[in-house]
Amino acid sequence: MQLRTFIAKDMREALGQVRNEMGPDAVIVASQRAKGGGVLVRAAFDAPSANVEEEAGLVAAESAPAEAIPDFAQTYHDGLIRRLRGEPAPHVPAKSFNRAELLTILRGHRAPEALAHQLAEAAEKSALSDMALALASALDRRMQTAPLVPGISQALLLVGPSGVGKTAVAAKIAAHARLAGRGVKLVAGDTAGAGAVARLETFAEHLGAEWVVADSAEAIAEAIVADESILTVIDTAGFDPRSAKARTAYAALARLPDVEAMGVVAATGDAEEVSEIAASLVTLGIKRMIVTGLDVTRRLGALTAGVTQGAALAHTTRSPFVSGGLETLTPLSLSRMLIEAANGQIDRGSPQ
Amino acid sequence: MILPNLTAIGSGKGGTGKTLVATALAAMFAQRGERVLLCDADLGLSNSTVHLGLESGGDLSGFLADRATLDQAVVPVLGGVTERGGFDLLAAPPGSGALANLDHGVADRMIAKLRLACVYDRILLDLSAGVDATTIGFAARADETLLVLTSDPAALTDAYAFAKLLLRHGGHKPRALVNMVENETEARRTRDALAKTCNAFLKTAPDYVGFVPRDPQAQLAVRQQRSLVELYPGAPSSRAFKDIARRLSSDPARHAELKGMLPLR
Repeated sequence: MQLRTFIAKDMREALGQVRNEMGPDAVIVASQRAKGGGVLVRAAFDAPSANVEEEAGLVAAESAPAEAIPDFAQTYHDGLIRRLRGEPAPHVPAKSFNRAELLTILRGHRAPEALAHQLAEAAEKSALSDMALALASALDRRMQTAPLVPGISQALLLVGPSGVGKTAVAAKIAAHARLAGRGVKLVAGDTAGAGAVARLETFAEHLGAEWVVADSAEAIAEAIVADESILTVIDTAGFDPRSAKARTAYAALARLPDVEAMGVVAATGDAEEVSEIAASLVTLGIKRMIVTGLDVTRRLGALTAGVTQGAALAHTTRSPFVSGGLETLTPLSLSRMLIEAANGQIDRGSPQ
Repeated sequence: MILPNLTAIGSGKGGTGKTLVATALAAMFAQRGERVLLCDADLGLSNSTVHLGLESGGDLSGFLADRATLDQAVVPVLGGVTERGGFDLLAAPPGSGALANLDHGVADRMIAKLRLACVYDRILLDLSAGVDATTIGFAARADETLLVLTSDPAALTDAYAFAKLLLRHGGHKPRALVNMVENETEARRTRDALAKTCNAFLKTAPDYVGFVPRDPQAQLAVRQQRSLVELYPGAPSSRAFKDIARRLSSDPARHAELKGMLPLR
């Protein structure tokens, strides 16, 4: 707590000094006439987190053992080793459904408020007594899973905001197709981004894939190979699908024949932003999407918001490495992740 | 069985007159007919013994280590608890630092042992200055806490810190006593400043129990190492302590609250 005393010729000037030097949240705790004329004002300020109950909660969370905080990479790693060894999954005690607790969990993940309420409502209506199952049932009404099947798609157009990892996703999809024995052609549609073409070129060379630069819708159309044994992956420049200008520009790409547009969004974004972007992508005719960045996300509100806007979830990625691959999530696995990640981690606030 | 009321006396800042408040209130509660134990919880630098001019303040370390029973560990003051106006004292030897640096568990242990001392009606805990974990631990486990502050701005910030930590550790809302003020206006200003600060940042504020004026006779009593109440019963500060003791011991709401909290045995 800060406590300061100000002497000024009148109250107005004193208040001005307090605001200037201690900020708008300082509180005047005493004022009186100063001995030599003028006024004496004493003001106090303490850090805004002065809600005692909240602080008590924070203290409790801080004193909890560090192991209680789930680490996705470690959990994933442990799970992988367990599966390789053929060991059964560890027993996790089932949590019984509680609407208020579910809301707290979803808020802890910073899911949009309206979505959190809708999910809690639907989970309650499911009448399932297990928390994970009830939430999964609620998610199931709004989310679909549709992984890419190597060998079926002919050409994929990756669209989404810049910086979400479209180029890395392109490389991952290409790697999967190569492993499935298909030929791959990478098309660099992003000729403006710094180093974008060079990155795609490097990926293509490592994968032994053909690659080409295409800076217009026509060039992209030409680049698509008619051969069914070859998958064409088109990496585009990032754009905001909510902007009218960008949507008009995208319309030309959307008319390309035999191309499936695939949305790409990042789980690290703000949940409201991601839900708006995902909803805009749906209005552009996009049916499936990929959510990136699960390795650097603890709060899954953006992921949850993204996959409940109408487009099916094709894959998620949780590694910047091409070999990290593509995974997918079902409503049940997402529900488990939400509940387990929240365990001991709900609303820990910003690091102190 | 009626368990004693544990009243902690703290301030955060040093030099606010906690020990004088504790010794004077002990004598005043005793005059009202309560059986009082004054326990010097300033484990590092115990000085109530010095204030009262006693040779020994008892054997708090022996009591804590189960080497001495409470009966053996306490020292009678002004005739002891059996005399009207007298009380018992339990402290570590002054100037020894015997109990400094004890671990956190000591507050728990000491409170648990004192709670069972049902030969007393009230146990006053004279806390050390500062807001360390042991001090706050004592206050958080007490039935009520008296927060002593002066008009010194540093006393205000330290009293605020004390109240904040006390509430954060699950203690009761403390009650504020303003000490060593020139007049009632100064006392009111100090009380208001604490209340405004606490209301603004903690959403609650200490109740006010009254003020004690700066009093040359109180200083004289401390210098002579005699009990203020015994030496100058008519001094302004003595009269103020008498009022405060009356207010504290006849607070029906507080009593009901305390009774409700006590386990039935």
